[in-house]
Amino acid sequence: MSSDVTEPKWSLRLPADCSIAAIRNVYDLIREAFGRQDRLEIDCSSVDKADVTSIQLLLSTAKTGEARGRPVVLTSFSQSLRNTLRRAGFASEAMIGQHFPQKKDGV
Amino acid sequence: MSAMDPTEIFRQEASELFEVLEGALLDLGQRPDDRELVDSAFRALHTIKGSGAMFGFDKVASFTHEFETAFDRVRKGEIRPTQELISVALAAKDYIRALIENPQSTDDIIGEAILDDLKRFVSSDQPAVAVVEIAEAPPLAPGGSKQAGWHLFLEFESHILRNGSNPLDLLEDLCKLGPCFVVPITDGVPFLDEMEPEDCYLKWDVKLHAACDKAAIDDVFMFVSDEMKLTLSPLEHVEAPVPAPLLQLLDEEPALAAEMPAPTVEAPVVEQLVAKAEHGPQAQPEVKVEAKTEPKIEPKAEAKRDDRGIATVRVQAERLDELMDRVGELVIAQARLTQLASAGSDLSIKMIAEEIERLASSLRDTTMGARMVPIGSLFGRFRRLVHDLSRDLSKPVEFVTSGEDTELDKTMIECLADPLVHLIRNAIDHGIEDTATRSANGKSEQGRIELAAVHSGAQVLVTVKDNGGGLNTARIRAKAEEQGLIAPGAALSDHEIHQFLFHPGFSTAQTISALSGRGVGMDVVKRTIENMRGSIDLSTRPGQGTTVTLRLPLTLAIIEGLLIRVGEGRYIIPLSAVEECIELTAEDERSRGRNFLNVRGNLVPFLRLRELMSSSGTPDQHQKTIIISTGETHVGLVADQIIGNHQTVIKSLSKLHSDVTIFSGATILGDGTAALILDVAQLIALAQSKVEKQHISEAA
Repeated sequence: MSSDVTEPKWSLRLPADCSIAAIRNVYDLIREAFGRQDRLEIDCSSVDKADVTSIQLLLSTAKTGEARGRPVVLTSFSQSLRNTLRRAGFASEAMIGQHFPQKKDGV
Repeated sequence: MSAMDPTEIFRQEASELFEVLEGALLDLGQRPDDRELVDSAFRALHTIKGSGAMFGFDKVASFTHEFETAFDRVRKGEIRPTQELISVALAAKDYIRALIENPQSTDDIIGEAILDDLKRFVSSDQPAVAVVEIAEAPPLAPGGSKQAGWHLFLEFESHILRNGSNPLDLLEDLCKLGPCFVVPITDGVPFLDEMEPEDCYLKWDVKLHAACDKAAIDDVFMFVSDEMKLTLSPLEHVEAPVPAPLLQLLDEEPALAAEMPAPTVEAPVVEQLVAKAEHGPQAQPEVKVEAKTEPKIEPKAEAKRDDRGIATVRVQAERLDELMDRVGELVIAQARLTQLASAGSDLSIKMIAEEIERLASSLRDTTMGARMVPIGSLFGRFRRLVHDLSRDLSKPVEFVTSGEDTELDKTMIECLADPLVHLIRNAIDHGIEDTATRSANGKSEQGRIELAAVHSGAQVLVTVKDNGGGLNTARIRAKAEEQGLIAPGAALSDHEIHQFLFHPGFSTAQTISALSGRGVGMDVVKRTIENMRGSIDLSTRPGQGTTVTLRLPLTLAIIEGLLIRVGEGRYIIPLSAVEECIELTAEDERSRGRNFLNVRGNLVPFLRLRELMSSSGTPDQHQKTIIISTGETHVGLVADQIIGNHQTVIKSLSKLHSDVTIFSGATILGDGTAALILDVAQLIALAQSKVEKQHISEAA
């Protein structure tokens, strides 16, 4: 697993492989981070392989954070992740912003 | 218990898909106009490709993709799948299989050569003989002449991603049909705690503005049509048509085209572009996110099953073997308990012993049932064998199978593969005549091989039947005399002469080929079948063909047996072979020396087990005869006592006893002592040889 929880403590960097082959590990990682921190920042800059499962996991993370009142922020979408989002129909920045809470200076 | 290696799971699944693919390709050779077969082959290929990529078999994914692409003209009905094309496709399948199972044995050059062949065949301009017109008339816009497009709602079954299918690829394919407006529907995505990360939760609402027919859309979803709901309705009003000015603008202004993501196009972006095209660059229309539309449900989608649960579980074969061993030990322990309980007077212990006996018996049946595999899984393999042999020997052969649902223990299925290969090879090589001979004999040029399986009591009969020339009894006899197996002119029935075919090194083939003629094969077949406690029969009619019948027990592990006593020893006779038990009458006793019983008017030869086992002591006053049979042959076995039924866990004999042919194994009885299991086929053969000797001596 190439992911690591980096400083500051509440930032989680997603691993390069977030495709279905590795999504279970990413899921566990996010749940573990959710259990530890009040505020979760997820760095998506290293994501090299993404598919429907990665999109769903990020959507679910955002939805869960909102429901629990624990903000989740996604930062630095990699080009690969952006391409996957576009292929899935999240075609404009407006639409991505609507579904994925992003840190403005991190994009 | 450790989880299975995902790569191993892929290999197993791929193995099943290869069977589907091979079956579809072979069927396609027979029914080249069957679109369903082409679709079935493509589904298998597509899943292999998708799963291969998912599990890191990149070469598999890449080669399969090339295969798919080359074969695409067949799918589109543009060219006819000829026998040559099918042969190359089968070679491609073999190559993919090798890439998965033994990648070291593969060579890229071979793969490229196969693909070149495939491309050469599909690029030749062979028109399809029958192209089925399934396309519906394209829907028209209210205006009449202009195509409006389609409104699609896509909902995939949750497991679809695990199969290697990728909805994003499908959306991409859909967008190739024309401008698409794709809106993902995220409502179904659950909270983290409720989520299965590999499941599919996203749905899509798509508006396709293209003058395509419904069949073109169905083609996109062909491989996943069973695993999704596709709701399709014609676009009745032009919500966001792609006007010519827009297309022109996209060409003229690359910056705008870049802003418009490919291949999916979101409605707001298009609206912006349309406004820009119609009102000039100054116009800044308000960007709004398209509202999710309620899907129009079509009946087709409703017909799909939604309640597809997990109906099967994949279990490693060793675990089933292990389970069977445990059940075997349980049965032995239960027999000991029953014996102890019956020796005592405690009623409650007896009741518990009976209850455990009942449960053990039920558990045994369930476990044996879990090991049962339809023999069709084996039959499928031979279609390729027949196809290849038929081609290599230039003998057109129709291969017909029946009884594929007949179930046999998995171990039996594995053991049966090689004998059947030998029998089918022999049938095509020696049995089926060449086309000239068949025509000269007034037969159709195409030969026929029938492979059938059927339950018969506690046995399964597997038959290989050909409609060839039949066995040449005179030649077999001459060869047997030449090899010194019989004296010249010895009186032998046809049946006896045919048995020489099972003699090691015996062959009447005049030339040795890659297929047969070395005299190795039929003896191995017989030995293998007998090792499985089965038997083999031959019947033939000159000029009409030969039928080989294999009689097999349902399982190799536990059998119902009849426990008998002969002198001090106890023996088991497989209950499946027992026809009836009768008392040896004084009249039969008087007939000593002739060794025949009169059973309702039929003379049945019998063997005295006391003599056979060299038992000491005085025989019981009332001797019992157990009539056993294999097929049409009946033989009586005379014993001192019939003790009763016994669930028999079969244990192999040691190597020291491997040459004792009349026993097929041993078992442990309730008191911990061992009992030998009688080999019915061998005993019947022994009785028959005694009868023949008697005939010869009487004739002399």
